[in-house]
Amino acid sequence: MGVQMVQLEHVTKEFDETNVVNDINLDIRAGEFLTLLGPSGCGKTTTLRMIAGFEKPTSGKILLNGKQVDDMEPYKREVNTVFQSYSLFPHMNVYDNVAFGLKMKKVSKDEIRERVTKALKLVQLKEYGNRKPKQLSGGQQQRIAIARAIVNNPKVLLLDEPLGALDLKLRKQMQLELKHLQQTLDITFIYVTHDQEEALTMSDRIVVMNKGKIEQIGLPREIYEKPVTRFVADFIGQTNIIEGKVTAINDDTATMEFSGQAIEIPNSQDIALNEEAFISVRPEKMKAGTVPFEGTINLKGTFKERIYVGSVTKIVVTMPNGEELTIHESHDNIEELTNTNDVYVSWNPKNTVVLKK
Amino acid sequence: MMRPRTKKILFSFSLLVFLFFYIPILFVIIFSFNDSKLGTVWTGFTLEWYGSIFKNSQLINATMNSIYLAVITTIISTILGTLAALALHRYTFIGKKSVEFLFYIPVVIPDIVVAVALLAIYGLLNMSLGLNTAVPGHVAITISYVMLVVLARLSSFDNSLEEAAKDLGANEWQTFWKVTFPLIFPGVLAGALLAFTISLDEFVISFFTLGPGDNTLPVLVYSMVRLGVSPEVNVLSTIIIAIMFIVVFVVGLRMRKGGDVK
Repeated sequence: MGVQMVQLEHVTKEFDETNVVNDINLDIRAGEFLTLLGPSGCGKTTTLRMIAGFEKPTSGKILLNGKQVDDMEPYKREVNTVFQSYSLFPHMNVYDNVAFGLKMKKVSKDEIRERVTKALKLVQLKEYGNRKPKQLSGGQQQRIAIARAIVNNPKVLLLDEPLGALDLKLRKQMQLELKHLQQTLDITFIYVTHDQEEALTMSDRIVVMNKGKIEQIGLPREIYEKPVTRFVADFIGQTNIIEGKVTAINDDTATMEFSGQAIEIPNSQDIALNEEAFISVRPEKMKAGTVPFEGTINLKGTFKERIYVGSVTKIVVTMPNGEELTIHESHDNIEELTNTNDVYVSWNPKNTVVLKK
Repeated sequence: MMRPRTKKILFSFSLLVFLFFYIPILFVIIFSFNDSKLGTVWTGFTLEWYGSIFKNSQLINATMNSIYLAVITTIISTILGTLAALALHRYTFIGKKSVEFLFYIPVVIPDIVVAVALLAIYGLLNMSLGLNTAVPGHVAITISYVMLVVLARLSSFDNSLEEAAKDLGANEWQTFWKVTFPLIFPGVLAGALLAFTISLDEFVISFFTLGPGDNTLPVLVYSMVRLGVSPEVNVLSTIIIAIMFIVVFVVGLRMRKGGDVK
């Protein structure tokens, strides 16, 4: 760890005069599992394709293991890709698919046999060498695509939404397998997904992208618990975004007015007196009750509805200004609330996250 | 479910179509064994014409010419047509739509126009006609078919396969021969066969652009039937039918066995 494996310096990619990727700086360490996360069209796949060499950056530099590669053809780069659609060669059997990269590098027949067998074993499809890709299930094809990439011992493995086409259960299973595989092989993984849960589950670090720019880079926990921007807070998991005017600023704290009530928020560079501020509070950090809780922030509103969603119960409370806050409560500690009740929504101030605008 | 009456009508109709197609061919085959020199009356069974046809040097010569032209045409058209299809599939350039349109024109333009145009050019260039002067015309009318067939095949080609190949270390050349070509090969083969049969069958352009002494099979047969349908023409037709039948049968059998290559 610590060695820079992939570096992007001021990388921009234009398609038809729009910046799909806009001035990105990113250092990816050797051996880490890094996820590029964002909605479709945010530039994550384009970024991946530039690292693979399928697209050339309009400006900026890409370094691979310290060497500048942005003009290098894809077949000369020590990276391999697992494609979204698997892209297995339909006219070759599984063995030849996996052996393809080694054959291109003129590796000896015996070594090819040994390495292909090992790679197929690693993805638990040792017996399937003679099958055609078409004869395999989606999950099996996915594993072959992974075997075909890792058999070349790449420095970096690029994965473009590789689990997108699988059903939920298989996807969960493959997420863990991929994570274990990455730890076993100690290869740098760059993983592209729009699925935030997948990103949180698998990654060492997550890069959240939006509209061609990086919104935040951090550990999964930081991304979830300390989102920096409104976009990140909104995109990762569910949250309550509360907007209000800053009425006072002290040393460590500040006061914000929301729906006629004062909220104490942490002081931060992102707020200024008499200006709008945004905070995010996760629904599971909130409680709802008929009387104010002690030692916490309390907002008074009226009960709207409760929705049972299995793992938790969602409670929706309407604020005097008409905005709604959502609370996730575990089933054991829910007070009976009815439509006529005044409800206090409360949370610990340390769970308040101040967002950039 | 189809109603029984509809079924009956459809069946009779199909039968009629088949009879319409195959009865003339059946007659040709039967009369190739006819003893009479005049093609119209049955006088008795003979294999005499099957012997004499192989001694007819004119006929053999014309057959060789036809095959020669078809092979040359197929090679040129298949290579150029495939390259054109690849270019049109892969690249976007200014005027692409017009270029594509230009490739459709030879399919609908009458052969006679191509023939006359070529003749005019040859006249202008003061070229003497021979066997090879028919090649440009044959290529011109077959190249579009090859291109269209290969283009159709390419439309179902997943471009990420080429990226996958390059990602795995194959350069452009290796990518083409290891991945792209094997996958479009059925289209290329179909285009080549189409070009071959069109060239073999081609009459108008050959008639106009061949030299005086050079005949292809259709041109020779045309000159032969002007003096009445001789039994030798029937024999020739029967042999061609037999060969085509065997070819189609074998290809069909192989395709069923191998399944679709894709």
